[in-house]
Amino acid sequence: MIDKDSLTHHISQQFNAELEEVRSHLLAMGGLVEKQVNDAVTALIDADSGLAQQVREIDDQINQMERNIDEECVRILARRQPAASDLRLIISVSKSVIDLERIGDEASKIARRAIQLCEEGESPRGYVEVRHIGDQVRRMVQEALDAFARFDADLALSVAQYDKTVDREYKTALRELVTYMMEDPRSISRVLNVIWVLRSLERIGDHARNIAELVIYLVRGTDVRHMGLARMQEEVQGKE
Amino acid sequence: MQHETHSHGIDIAALGRDKQNLRLAEETVAIEVPGLNLFYGDKQALHGVSMNIPKQRVTAFIGPSGCGKSTLLRCFNRMNDLVDGCRVDGEINLDGRNIYRKGEDVAELRRRVGMVFQKPNPFPKSIYENVVYGLRIQGINKKRVLDEAVEWALKGAALWDEVKDRLHESALGLSGGQQQRLVIARTIAVEPEVLLLDEPCSALDPISTLKVEELIYELKSKYTIVIVTHNMQQAARVSDYTAFMYMGKLIEFGDTDTLFTNPAKKQTEDYITGRYG
Amino acid sequence: MKKDSLKTWFKSGSPWVWLNGGAVSIAIIMTLGLLALIAVRGLGHFWPANIIEGTYQIPGEPAKTLAGEVVQAEEVPRARLAATGLPVNVEGGEFMTRELLKVGNREIFGADFSWVIGEWLSDVRRPAELMAIERREWGNFYGYLVNVKESGQVVAEGEGAWDEFQKRIERVDLLHTQIERLEKKDIGRINAGLERLRLKTRKLELQGRLDAVAQAELDAERAELDAEYKVLESQLSDLHQQFQRDSVTVKVSDGREIELNMGKVVRAFRPNAMSMLQKFGFYFGKLWEFVSDDPREANTEGGIFPAIFGTVMMVLLMAVLVTPFGVIAAVYLREYARQGPLTRVIRIAVNNLAGVPSIVYGVFGLGFFVYVLGGSLDRLFFPEAAPAPTFGTPGLMWASLTLAILTLPVVIVATEEGLARIPRAVREGSLALGATKIETLWNVVIPMASPAMMTGLILAVARAAGEVAPLMLVGVVKLAPSLPLDGNYPYLHLDQKIMHLGFHIYDVGFQSPNVEAARPLVYATALLLVVVIALLNFSAVYMRNHLREKYKALDH
Repeated sequence: MIDKDSLTHHISQQFNAELEEVRSHLLAMGGLVEKQVNDAVTALIDADSGLAQQVREIDDQINQMERNIDEECVRILARRQPAASDLRLIISVSKSVIDLERIGDEASKIARRAIQLCEEGESPRGYVEVRHIGDQVRRMVQEALDAFARFDADLALSVAQYDKTVDREYKTALRELVTYMMEDPRSISRVLNVIWVLRSLERIGDHARNIAELVIYLVRGTDVRHMGLARMQEEVQGKE
Repeated sequence: MQHETHSHGIDIAALGRDKQNLRLAEETVAIEVPGLNLFYGDKQALHGVSMNIPKQRVTAFIGPSGCGKSTLLRCFNRMNDLVDGCRVDGEINLDGRNIYRKGEDVAELRRRVGMVFQKPNPFPKSIYENVVYGLRIQGINKKRVLDEAVEWALKGAALWDEVKDRLHESALGLSGGQQQRLVIARTIAVEPEVLLLDEPCSALDPISTLKVEELIYELKSKYTIVIVTHNMQQAARVSDYTAFMYMGKLIEFGDTDTLFTNPAKKQTEDYITGRYG
Repeated sequence: MKKDSLKTWFKSGSPWVWLNGGAVSIAIIMTLGLLALIAVRGLGHFWPANIIEGTYQIPGEPAKTLAGEVVQAEEVPRARLAATGLPVNVEGGEFMTRELLKVGNREIFGADFSWVIGEWLSDVRRPAELMAIERREWGNFYGYLVNVKESGQVVAEGEGAWDEFQKRIERVDLLHTQIERLEKKDIGRINAGLERLRLKTRKLELQGRLDAVAQAELDAERAELDAEYKVLESQLSDLHQQFQRDSVTVKVSDGREIELNMGKVVRAFRPNAMSMLQKFGFYFGKLWEFVSDDPREANTEGGIFPAIFGTVMMVLLMAVLVTPFGVIAAVYLREYARQGPLTRVIRIAVNNLAGVPSIVYGVFGLGFFVYVLGGSLDRLFFPEAAPAPTFGTPGLMWASLTLAILTLPVVIVATEEGLARIPRAVREGSLALGATKIETLWNVVIPMASPAMMTGLILAVARAAGEVAPLMLVGVVKLAPSLPLDGNYPYLHLDQKIMHLGFHIYDVGFQSPNVEAARPLVYATALLLVVVIALLNFSAVYMRNHLREKYKALDH
């Protein structure tokens, strides 16, 4: 339906450039957000409060990028009145940007917890889960953006499907951490911090799934939100 | 989509989904084109076009210049008969009757299928005489009947308030947009069933264009409207269904929402997004 | 370098601008010059010029007193004058001035004009009492008023005579109008009635229905008319007597006294005694007489109203005839005929018709309209008038019809052009409302093409009004007894011959017995012809502009 080439085939070269620009800005923002997630998790695990501080500072940049990309989208809507795939691209970009910004916020929250945990001292409990879920979530974000970059509905579908796994692992980790807290009430406040981090990671996974759904909308033209994975898969693969 | 009404009384489905949830297949058919070929001399201008124009809906024909959309439109009131060397092969059924059958009264057909042209073409007569032209042709000359028709038609064309005090002044003194609405009033004064609009706004400024579009929106409850337009945004704004034509063929015909957000054919996509094929 | 500048000058286009400007100026100058020439020559004729009196002494002959208006003066070589037999002293210089004097008094001098050698004219004066009398015949009379007589008795003499004379001229004028009305209107009506009765009788006779009853009826009617005529005749002779009652005695410059009957006097005036204002008044009076009166004296005196009327009448009739013909032909050619080689040939033929010399149309009109058509009409509808032709002779209708044929191509071409320019959209608009082709044509296309038709008509009128040659064959005469439009049934007399300004010019200029007297009239008539054509054209242009205004917005 739509592929990367289609962005460069407009009669208006200017329009080509504008669409290409907004898309690359989104991907750049995505790259930064992905790095933020990565850094936040690393800062937490390595107890690197400097890195965590850096993550918090960069969040402002992400907010700024969100504003810029939104502006571009509005401008294109007003001036070009895009239709069909172009319209879907702009809509997807302008929505994805919200999710990316939220992911950035969550990364920032993780960084804040990392700083707190650093101050409270070493406690490896729960970090295994954080590392594990963090890796998965990071990969989801990365793949969602990849799917966006390549207009790959199948990859997007796999991201959406993967969210289920993350949710399951999050629940398992929660149960495990609750056990920790029951075993050692003194660790409650520290473990709670870890739980908050996990919760943030789980939210990041949800946002990545949202982006993946937008990619499917962009590529296939069908709205697959709130649909159930089975039907989503049908929509994506049924329409080859 | 089924409507779920919650206790707080808000129709969630109505909020979520577009108010027109149209299915072409479920519409009543006004004009049936079962497969139409048209030739200008040796050149074939329409290739096996088949479509059903739904009743009391706005159907837009879009496509690049020379794709045959105007030609198709002009088949519906046999305006193509005026072109030398034009030959139609196939049939068009208006309310189930073939308008190309032998012995069809073309004047009567054109009264039933009104047409508005690209450039406003009021006659060099008064506004009043323009509106009653079609009626006078039919031999209606009673002043009371004509007066009523004028008021009714001008109101229908959303022009009454602007011209009611100067009905007997020349129609050529009106602005382009007013002239076009006058032409529409003139056309609906004979109470046609179908209204064909051949790029009705291409000679108008944007505000006049919007007024005419608004009028189209209001008229569709009474008439089956077919509009040819070069302006895709206009097709998107006014129509319920859109047909995309290319090189004399009907490429895609479906509800406007789908056609403009997620067209089924690549040619359509390329055309409406402004790409070269 | 110089070559370059010349080249740039050429490139700049200004040579062509100059060329065009020059051509336009020459055209304007020529047109204005033409108008000015005929205006000056023609209009000057009506000015009351001073009358001079002088002693004219040809060497070796007795001196005589001459009185008259100086019409023209020229320098002539002495040798040439000597060659004509005049006793010119060849030594005196190369040229002599020769003056043309309008001396009038034709019955005395034998000619109205007389050439005099300026040198030999002495003692030139402008006596205030010297008067000019315009007469109904025999041209002007110059002399001194001696007395005024009524039925042979002197009623005024000396100083009072002039006023008395003027008063009596007014009376005579009134009587003349009455006589004229009686003759033209009342007696004319009776004559028309008698003629109608004669024709009716003849018709009944031809149909074999002339029985005693009808005969008696007709006789009764005739008797009635005759009785009426008797009354009028006595009135007329009475008036004539009144008219002839007075006379004036005039002393001519050479001392003879002549008695003139007042019935012959149109007006008398003393130009030498007139103030400028009076002269202007007199001038405009004469001008008015020129455009409103009947001609006198073989068209060299009086007015040319019948010619103006005839011209306008004929052109209007032509317009009425040519418009429907031309429009129908053009509509058929443009709207209905299948466009192909045949229509192309017809178009070429129509265009070529416009180039046929007009006299050919005259011949055609005479041969076809007058003899064939008119003859047939006479046989079919007016057998009672035979052998006198009714329509089988040149007349107004045939003149108009001939001109209509002559101008038909112009109207056809212009109308076709107009039809071609009607936007397709407007026709389609009408057709799309369920109108048929003929309804569309009638309601929309033809009204919109009307300005173009008017343009055609303007061109047609311009050409027709100036045409003379063919008219001489088909209905224009030098003097028509009555106007083609009058109060006698059927009011418009299509069978009558008419007068025409163009032909009038030709007639006055070349056929007049008194060429010198007529020459200014040629110019004046020419000017009037131009004015009439211009007026006809302006009114048509006005109508066209009005129509254009009405339909303008569709031209974009």
